Amino acid sequence: MTNAMDREAVAEPLNPLGFDGIEFIEFATSKPQALGGVLEMMGFRPIARHRSREVELYRQGTMNVIVNAQPADVPRTVQPVERPVLSAFAVRVRDANAAFKRALDLGGWEIPVRAAPMELNIPAIHGVGESLIYFVDRYDEFSIYDIDFRAIPSVDRHPPAIAGLDFFGIVQYVGAGRTPDWIEFYSRIFGFTPLPNRIRFGIMPKGMLLQSPCKQFFLQLIDPDEAATDVPWEEHLQRIGLGTADVLAAVAALEKRGIEFVASGEVHSSERGALTRPYLGSVMFELVHEDSAAGPGRK
Amino acid sequence: MNFTDFGMDTASLAGSLEAKLDAIRNAGFAQVMISAADVVAHPRGTTAAVDAIRASGLRVTGYQALSDFEGLTGHLHAYKIAVAKAMLEVCSAIGSRLLLVEASTSTHADRDPDVIASDLHKLSVLSIPLGIRIAFKGTPASRTVRDLAAAWEVVGRANCPNLGLAIDSFDTLAAHASLELLDEIDPELLCLVQLSDFMWTEIRSAAEQAATATHFRVFPGEGVHSDSVADLVTKLDHIGYYGDYSFDVYNDDYHQLPPQTVAQRARGAALWLGETVLRRALPVPNMERLRRGPNP
Repeated sequence: MTNAMDREAVAEPLNPLGFDGIEFIEFATSKPQALGGVLEMMGFRPIARHRSREVELYRQGTMNVIVNAQPADVPRTVQPVERPVLSAFAVRVRDANAAFKRALDLGGWEIPVRAAPMELNIPAIHGVGESLIYFVDRYDEFSIYDIDFRAIPSVDRHPPAIAGLDFFGIVQYVGAGRTPDWIEFYSRIFGFTPLPNRIRFGIMPKGMLLQSPCKQFFLQLIDPDEAATDVPWEEHLQRIGLGTADVLAAVAALEKRGIEFVASGEVHSSERGALTRPYLGSVMFELVHEDSAAGPGRK
Repeated sequence: MNFTDFGMDTASLAGSLEAKLDAIRNAGFAQVMISAADVVAHPRGTTAAVDAIRASGLRVTGYQALSDFEGLTGHLHAYKIAVAKAMLEVCSAIGSRLLLVEASTSTHADRDPDVIASDLHKLSVLSIPLGIRIAFKGTPASRTVRDLAAAWEVVGRANCPNLGLAIDSFDTLAAHASLELLDEIDPELLCLVQLSDFMWTEIRSAAEQAATATHFRVFPGEGVHSDSVADLVTKLDHIGYYGDYSFDVYNDDYHQLPPQTVAQRARGAALWLGETVLRRALPVPNMERLRRGPNP
């Protein structure tokens, strides 16, 4: 019997990594308590501390946020400064090692192993700017936090999310004319798909949307205005998008906690979305309407 | 005069990196193509070289050159990836947004076009986080990618947005290559044009071509193929090439002359090209040439 592969070209599966959402998003800052205050206003709770590094885990609902204050020990990674920086995100995959090896074969830059004894070696590649992208495959029966972190005593380890908030996406600023390069990077290594321009989410109109192969997560690439192409424009992860079925309820709940939202001519809270003001000079969250808990593109 | 379209190669000059940068800037140029040897052989180390380049105020046209990269397997491939990554890091450190890659001349290299394309794609993806474009150039001594047509085929097969082509006028002159191909190539694919001429009318053998390429090049306007150089530049302008031109002049005599003397010769070439051939005088106010942004 002839192997099917001999007869016809079989396309690579649409989700070669078994991409299954985002395990965590990381900030780096030298003032972790200040950022912790902002995260708590946003509804996150401190859950655990890293065993050997100056790293804390915050959580609400399904979202894990890491606050990293450990001085950088790898070139081309974020050196924590007062102003928080989005320094990494971790993708859930079927097999982290296989996904990592595949990324290296396709042109990813590996980072050196940093795990201390008895800690997990979580593989990662360099992303935009000084950010990293981790591959995590332990998120079902037990998690990476069970091993590398110590729980803070007497806290609820699974605080519910405000208005069903979950990770919707990340906004990335790219240099002039660099959108095609980053589409290639994310589609080739992770299986992201660019969406047609008519599909928009939220209230911020600019940028190229890329959908993860699991359809649960979006990257939004934003390049500078035409007029500003001669101005140096640093590429970086700019803000986190949070999804909710009821944006206005989420806005109301967050305002009650002290979060302020941008209300200017073109940008104001609506059923489609909302944008917080920047905190600590750089930390913004964008709320985006999702039809249901299943999310906008989630089947 | 408008020198912004033209730049010099550090490899054309003798002396320290700082002396070369001074000579280039003092001759009126705004950009420079940096040879890897000038960075890594700096007597006070690579960091000092990076500082000198950044302090020069010159825009870096590109960094050269990664060679014998594609088509290797196993440990040779891993070795060349490590070399490429190290070069990309220096390229990024000096503020260069372009790495010149010359087609492999290695007899160990696979000649399968898909393997070559796949390797170039991988190199291009490696370059994306650093904001670097790859300019791939055919080499007459290569077994597979000898000229622009072959390089274009490979780059099309690899199909990566930050992967493009470099054209070397020396190669097109020596091969008497037709310029008709340029009508078919998307000018957006052209990342870099290197200009030089030579003094003999004919090149009679591959060995003579190789020797001429490395020892006897002269600046545009100094050789005997000025009309052909002018045709090439005019053609590129006509198809809408708005990228950089760099003078890749490798000449043993010029390495025995003070760098400022050689830089003045390059200035003459830029004047000839800018004011006589292209008539790229200063842009008329409100009528500036439409150019893409500085990057990519």
